[in-house]
This record gives sequence, structure tokens and C-alpha cells, in this order.
Amino acid sequence: MRLSPRLRTPLALLSAALIVLLGPPLLSSGSGSATGTHIPGLRLMVPNTPGGGYDITARTAAKSAEDADLSRNIEVFNLPGAGGTVGLSRLVAERGNGKLAMSMGLGVVGAVHTNHAPSTLADTTPIARLTQEPDIVVVAKGSKYRNFDQLVADWRNKPGSLPVGGGSSPGGPDHLAPMLMAKAAGIAPKKVNYIPYDGGGELLASVLGGKVAFGVSGVGEYLDQIEAGELRVLAVTSDKRLPGLDAPTLKESGLDVSFTNWRGIVAPPGLTDAERDKLIDLVTKMHASKQWQEAVRRNRWTDAFMTGDEFGRFLTAQDKRVDTVLKELGL
Amino acid sequence: MTDSHADTNTDTANNTANKTDTGTGLRAFLRGRSELGVCALLLAIGVLVLTDALTMDTDFAQRGPVGPRTVPIVVGVALLVVAVLLAVDVLRGGKGEAEGGEDIDLAAPGDWRTVLLLAGVFLANAFLIDPLGFPISGALLFWGSAYALGSRAFHRDPLIAAVLSTVTFFVFDRLLAVPLPGGPLMEVL
Amino acid sequence: MDSLSSLLDGFGTALSPVNLLWAAVGVLLGTAIGVLPGIGPAMAVALLLPVTYGLDPTAAFIMFAGIYYGGMFGGSTTSILLNTPGETAAVVAAMEGHPMARSGRGAQALAAAAIGHFAGGMIGTCLLVFLAPTVADLAVDIGAPDYFAIMVLAFIAVTSVLGSSRIRGFASLLIGLTIGLVGLDQMTGQQRLTFGSLQLADGIDVVIVAVGLFAIGEALWVALHLRRRPDEPIPVGRPWLGKAELRRTWKPWLRGPAIGFPFGAIPAGGAEIPTFLSYVTEKRLSKHRDEFGKGAIEGVAGPESAASASAAGTLVSMLTLGLPTTAVAAVMLAAFQQYGIQPGPLLFEREPDLVWGLIASLFIAMVMLLVLNLPLAPVWAKLLRIPRPYLYAGILFFAAVGAYAVGGEPLDLVILLIIGLLGLLMRRYGLPVLPAVIGVILGPGAEQQLRRALQISDGSMSGLVDTPFSVTVYVVIALILCWPLAKRLVPGRVR
Repeated sequence: MRLSPRLRTPLALLSAALIVLLGPPLLSSGSGSATGTHIPGLRLMVPNTPGGGYDITARTAAKSAEDADLSRNIEVFNLPGAGGTVGLSRLVAERGNGKLAMSMGLGVVGAVHTNHAPSTLADTTPIARLTQEPDIVVVAKGSKYRNFDQLVADWRNKPGSLPVGGGSSPGGPDHLAPMLMAKAAGIAPKKVNYIPYDGGGELLASVLGGKVAFGVSGVGEYLDQIEAGELRVLAVTSDKRLPGLDAPTLKESGLDVSFTNWRGIVAPPGLTDAERDKLIDLVTKMHASKQWQEAVRRNRWTDAFMTGDEFGRFLTAQDKRVDTVLKELGL
Repeated sequence: MTDSHADTNTDTANNTANKTDTGTGLRAFLRGRSELGVCALLLAIGVLVLTDALTMDTDFAQRGPVGPRTVPIVVGVALLVVAVLLAVDVLRGGKGEAEGGEDIDLAAPGDWRTVLLLAGVFLANAFLIDPLGFPISGALLFWGSAYALGSRAFHRDPLIAAVLSTVTFFVFDRLLAVPLPGGPLMEVL
Repeated sequence: MDSLSSLLDGFGTALSPVNLLWAAVGVLLGTAIGVLPGIGPAMAVALLLPVTYGLDPTAAFIMFAGIYYGGMFGGSTTSILLNTPGETAAVVAAMEGHPMARSGRGAQALAAAAIGHFAGGMIGTCLLVFLAPTVADLAVDIGAPDYFAIMVLAFIAVTSVLGSSRIRGFASLLIGLTIGLVGLDQMTGQQRLTFGSLQLADGIDVVIVAVGLFAIGEALWVALHLRRRPDEPIPVGRPWLGKAELRRTWKPWLRGPAIGFPFGAIPAGGAEIPTFLSYVTEKRLSKHRDEFGKGAIEGVAGPESAASASAAGTLVSMLTLGLPTTAVAAVMLAAFQQYGIQPGPLLFEREPDLVWGLIASLFIAMVMLLVLNLPLAPVWAKLLRIPRPYLYAGILFFAAVGAYAVGGEPLDLVILLIIGLLGLLMRRYGLPVLPAVIGVILGPGAEQQLRRALQISDGSMSGLVDTPFSVTVYVVIALILCWPLAKRLVPGRVR
């Protein structure tokens, strides 16, 4: 078949237009109808890079919901930047979008403050808190500090010469925990010699090598090293002792502080009650699934389920606490 | 070669400038030394870096001699120094050697129209990708770039662009779940 | 020979038909995805993580090993052919690889990279087998002052890539350092050169800078001076490495691991600095120094070998300490945790089958990748035969896809264009681009380690020289600096 040359150009343009316009929707399989808990086209944003805490939480949650037949095809995507506030801004801009949610945690609360982000968590629709994880105070096995009291006594005397390592940038959980501890111990937070590391992994090397006087980080990454006897835990920051970990709480050690890092899910602002309830319902059923419970056990998380308005009030309280600490530091 | 053109122009212009007024003389003097623009750029960046560093709020606890402002100040000052040294070098007749290459014909005069077209097409892609979706903006980027670079096969280029863009969309968005915006008809169909 | 017998058991596990199949699948997927622009090994492993959920842990990790190394092989392909590195480890490969590809030696560049990866990976994995516990113990002793000393050494090394005009080289380095300043200050969280934009708070990614300066900058520069002549495709040349090339490359292949492996094993090492140091080393040692920048094969062979060996080094600290030193390792660590396995000092005792199976499959993946990639090299190289307008349009297109796919931010595209225009300007006025990229890589790291060291010592400058390692490095630096001086003072024997 031969076309006249005059016809070929318009025909090429027409087919090109058809391809780019119709191709994508036709290639994408339909996501089905909204039956039961299923929310067609639901997307879960991770405001961090792949492999990070929010990423694992989000992907595990999405996987559990799919395996438990609560939803099909939840699309998890990463939008990293500025401690999660880039993702938060996008979420807040998607006002009224009932098919979007974001995995987040205490780190985002701090990042909103330190980055002076225009959007805050108060602008979002709280869905649920999922897990929590206490921080621990660790030293290498060769450290001269055998217990927390010795450490605090030395710390009070010369805070400057006791570098504290943490796995988060200023404003993050591992930064807030030692600041709260210092405050309770009567040390001005500004005097604390805090050294941020790029995550708990990089910090671990510095603790093992005795580069910092002590490290403060989430317990999860360190359990194996503790069991192997390479690290000594001087205290846990939670209210209660952790099962299987021979370490006192801060309160037992005489510091009136309790602190836990947590992770949860928020949605864009301006949702109708029905849309909001649908998301909460999905997350609640996901939380109850045996797949999720199994994942929580496997990842050694602590369940801390809390939904809707209760989670909203919790967010407000956390925000206030972070704000107070950071104001004192001049951040 | 633009430089040699400019040089001969400068020479003749300098000769005439000596006889006439200094205004065109200055312009002609500058024409052969457009590299001074690079010095100006370095100078501007240096000032920007220094301003940013000096207006920084350093309320936060700092330990030791090196704080958040130290490195920017060092870099900013170094930028100013290099800008001045480069200017001296240029005024003494030093010249950056334009980079050659297989596809590059330095003897031809600079074709700024093509560069502007390419930059425009690329910028358009950045602004259209969200409203129109990746398949459309990507196809426009490819076709536009090919057009700017001299391809005039109207019966073929749009098709290549459309297929390339849609296939890329499919591989990234569908197969790999790296989200790319699909376009206005995604929700309709 | 405890580890040797364990390794043999590991081969027993890895060589079962099913596991071989998974290794092959991983290798193919990894190469295919690594070739895509903007997707490096870290992204490839993260994207394919869900694929492995249904497998048992051993099979899953064998597949991962294939994806990881496959992603690295594939990543250098785009870097060499299209000048668009997908990850930092492949940035240096573009420096010599792309000019080689443009002059019809693409197949040779790709083959040198593939064999380099193979050699680096093999040697690195051997070192992993025999040295893992020792290296891991040494790695944690490396602290901030040591890193800073290494960075100073790297800065000294930059002076050998400044190009013919020192002042223009310095200008380029400073531009890079300035770009590196953008973002939140890592130690205190102060905003620097972000102009209040959240998107700039994490700084500008090295990959964006490299793609902007290399790919976009070059495309625009070519557009400015496009040779208008009858379209004559880039010659493909011979498909294989000739004898002369082998003579030039075997030493770099073997030297690469010596630089790459230790960097991979230390906590903040990564692949950027070793690939760059390997490049500089090869440039210094090469008999063809004048070819550097125009397509010297040593400049592909050495760095690529160093990159793969650094990847093997990464596994040392990941497996024995549970310490992720790169993005890929972080994703792998997450994958381990998905299976309820915690890498760390007890891993080798608790899960010997899995670990040794994984290590054995690294060797197998290497062989598979070499067998797959060597014949592919001439095929890939033919890609450059397409007409110029399509070639450069394609480069712009894929650079845009890569930049957008990472963060989904149109602003990244605007930044990419601005850096591309900067690259055009730098080419026009003879500013070399490599120092700028090095500045972006070294600047933030050096500043962070310097300040960390000073904080640990509570502000005392002695904190910079209080380890034997750092003192040694400074002595080496002093020797390097004094060498030309000494040579001048002591008259040569000839005279």
C-alpha cells in the first residue's frame, strides 16, 4: 500500500497523537471498582529514599493489605527530600485526593520545624499510627561506662568533651532524644556536643570504633550487635523496659523522660468524612491481618496502633514537644 | 571559528576606534574578550555565596573554629580571587581553548538559534510534564530536539517520538512502578 | 582453610539448577534495568525487591546478587554510550568511555568496562571471602580525621585533572564546590544557598550535575557547532580488544581492586572517591597521558574495576557488621530484614548456607555477566550509528527521563537544564568539566568529615591528626608535594 507523500505527514502526526493520548490509558489495566475495602488507584507516598524506615513501613503495609485481599495494586512511590517535607508539601497540595496517603513519622515533625516548611502536619488528615520504636543509649564493649549513672555524671561535668552520635540530622528523633535527656539531667541542650550521622548504620561504626562517647539510635538496627556482645546498652528511652533487653529505662535511671520514635500514615487535607473513614477502615483491617502482625514480629517493631482523631491529638502533642526543644536550641 | 572572526573584527575595530571615538573602541575591545563574561559570572557567584554565608543565622551551637559559614566563606573568597586572576589572564591575551570533538566544527560560526530551540524544548518539557503527562511532553521533547538539530522527516519523526515516549512510559510506569504522569486521558478511559 | 570449605559448600548451594536459574534471571533483569537512564543498582534492587517476595531467602539473595552486579554492568553502558551516568560510580566511566565511543571505539570501551567489572568483582569477592572479619575490624577504626585526610589527598589529586590552564581548572573546581554547598548544612541544619526552596534542601544530586554537565552540556555544545555535512554514522570499528589495548588495560584492571575494595569496606567509603582516585592513578601511570580526556582506555578499565571491587567491599561491612555503606547496601539490608535475618557479627554462624550461597553466587553472577556483556558490547556500540539528530534528541530525552524518574519533580529538569547551559559555557571557554563534578563529590564530604572530627575533639585542631592513619596520609601528601621540588634540587644523573 502506498500513500501519497502529501498524506504521509498528517497521517504520521495523527497516529503519533493517538499513540501518546490513548496508549498510556490502554496499557494501564483498569484498577477495578470500589468494592469492600478496596480503593481503586490508591497510592502510598514515601517521603524518603528506598530502604529507609518510612519506605519499609509503607511497602510492608501495602504488601500486607494486598496479601490479605483488602486492596489490589497499592502503588508505593518515593518522593524524597528535606527530611520528608518535600513529600509533605506535595501531599498537602493534593487537597481532597482520597486516593493518596503518605507514610511518615516523628522525623517529619522535626523536619517541618528545621526546614521552616510551609506545610505542616496540622494541614493533613491523620489516618493512623502504626508502630513505635524506642531509642537506646549504647556504648562499645570497651567503653569505660558500665552503667547509665556513670555516663550522666561525666556528661554533666563536661558535656563538650562527650560527643554524642545520632543517626538523624538536627531535628530528627536521634537528635531530640539526647536533647531531652540532657534537659532532664540539667545540662543546657546547647551545650550538648551532638554529631549527626547518616543513619544508624554509619553511626554504628563510630560507636563500635569508640569515636563517639555514646550513641543514641533506634533499637532495631543494633539488636544483633548487642546479642554478640559488641555493644552495651546503658538505657532505653521508652516508658517500660524492652523484653529481652537487659537495660533500665531512663526513668529508672533517674531522668524523668520518656521518648519513642513512631511511624504512621497521613492523608491529604480536605477529605470528605466518607473518604477519610474508608482509608482508616482499610488501615485498621490491614493492621488486624495476620500478614501485618507477622511482619511486625519479623521486623521487631512494636505495635502502636491508633487512628483518626486520637492520632490527630497525638500529632499535635508531638509537634508541641518538638517545637519546645528546638526553640531552646535556636533551630 | 567565532574567536578568529571576533579577533579580526577586534583588530579592525581597534584601528578605527583609535581614529574615531572610544565608545566603539570599548565595545570592540570587549568583543574579542567575551571570556570576561565568565569572570563576571564567577564574581557574581562569589558575591552570592558570600552574601548567603554572611547573612546566615548562626545562633546554633558551634564547636571549634569551623561552623556552617566557614566553608562557604572560603569558597566565596576563592571565587572572587579566581575571577580576578582569570580576568588578568584574559586581558593579557590568554584564551580558554574551546573543546573539540567528533561532531564539532569549530570553524563554523556558533549556531545559537539551535541552542535556544533545544533549551526551549527542554524547558517546555519541564513545564508540560505535569499537566500533559509524560508520553506527550516526552514525545514533544524528542521531536522538538530532532527538529532543532536539523531533522525534517515529518512523516517519520513524530511517530518515532510517540512510540519511544509511550514505550518508555510503559517500561517505567507499568513494568517498574516508577510513576510517570500518564496524561489527561488516564482517568477518563 | 575454614572459609574455603564453607565456600565450596556455598557453591554446592548456588550451583543447584534452580538457584542457577535465579542467578541468571537476576543478571538479565539487573543488566536490563541498569541500562535504563537514571536507574542505578540501588534503584534496580529496590524496584525488584517485591519480585523476590515469593522466593525462599537463599534464592532471593542469589537473585539479588545478580541484580546488583548486573545493574553495575548495565549502568556503565549508558554512561559510556550516551554520556548519561545513572549513578555516581559510573560518572568517571563517562570521562574516557564516551570519547572512545564517539570515535568508534565504543565496543572496546564497553569491553574494557565489562572485563574491569569482572576483574574487580572477582578479586573483590575473593578478598571478601578471605579477609572479611579482619577488614571489618579495621573498618570501624577509620574515623572522621582519617576520612578528612583521605579527602585532602583526593583534593591534591584533583590538581592533575585541571587541564592545560590551571586557573580555568580551579574556576571549574570552585563551581563544583559551590554547587556542593547548596542544601541544608549537614551538621547544624542551616539553609545554605537554598533560597528557601525545599526541593533544594537536600542539595543537588551528583548524578544530576554529571548528567547536566556531561550529557546536556555536550548536546548543546554540539548543537552550537554541529558539523553540517552529509550524515556519516559514527564508525563502529573492531568489535574486540586488540593486543595493544590488552597490554594497556591489564594492569589497570588489577590495580582497580587495590583502590576500590578498601574504600567499599569502610563505613563512609562508597564508590565515587575510589573510582576517581583510580582514574587519576591511571592517568599518572599511563604512557599515553596525552590521550586522557580524548578516550584513553586505561581511564575506563581502572575505575570500572575499582567500582566493582568497592561493591564487593560494601558487602564486607554489610554482612559482618550489618552496616550499610552505600544506598544499595541499605536496600539489601532492608531485604535481609524482610526475611527476618539481621546481618551482623552473628550472621555467618546463624545462616552459613545463605551467606556462603550468596557469596558463591556472586562469583557465578560475575561469570554470567561477562559471558552476557562481552558479546553485547559491539551490539550496544552500534546504537551510536543512528543519525545525529536522533542520537542527540535521544540523549536529551533519556537524560530528562532519568532526572524526572528519580524524584518526580519538574524542578529537577529545570536544574538539569541550567547545569547543562553551564556545561555549554564551560566548553565554550575552555573550563574542564571533570573538576566541577569532583568538586560536587568531594566538597560536602570533606566539609562534613572535617567538622565531625573537630566536634569529636570538642573544637581542638589536634583532633585532625590524632590517629596514626591520618598522620600517615598527611606524610604521604607531604611527600607528593615535595617530590617535584626535591627532583629539581637533586640534579639528574644525565646532567
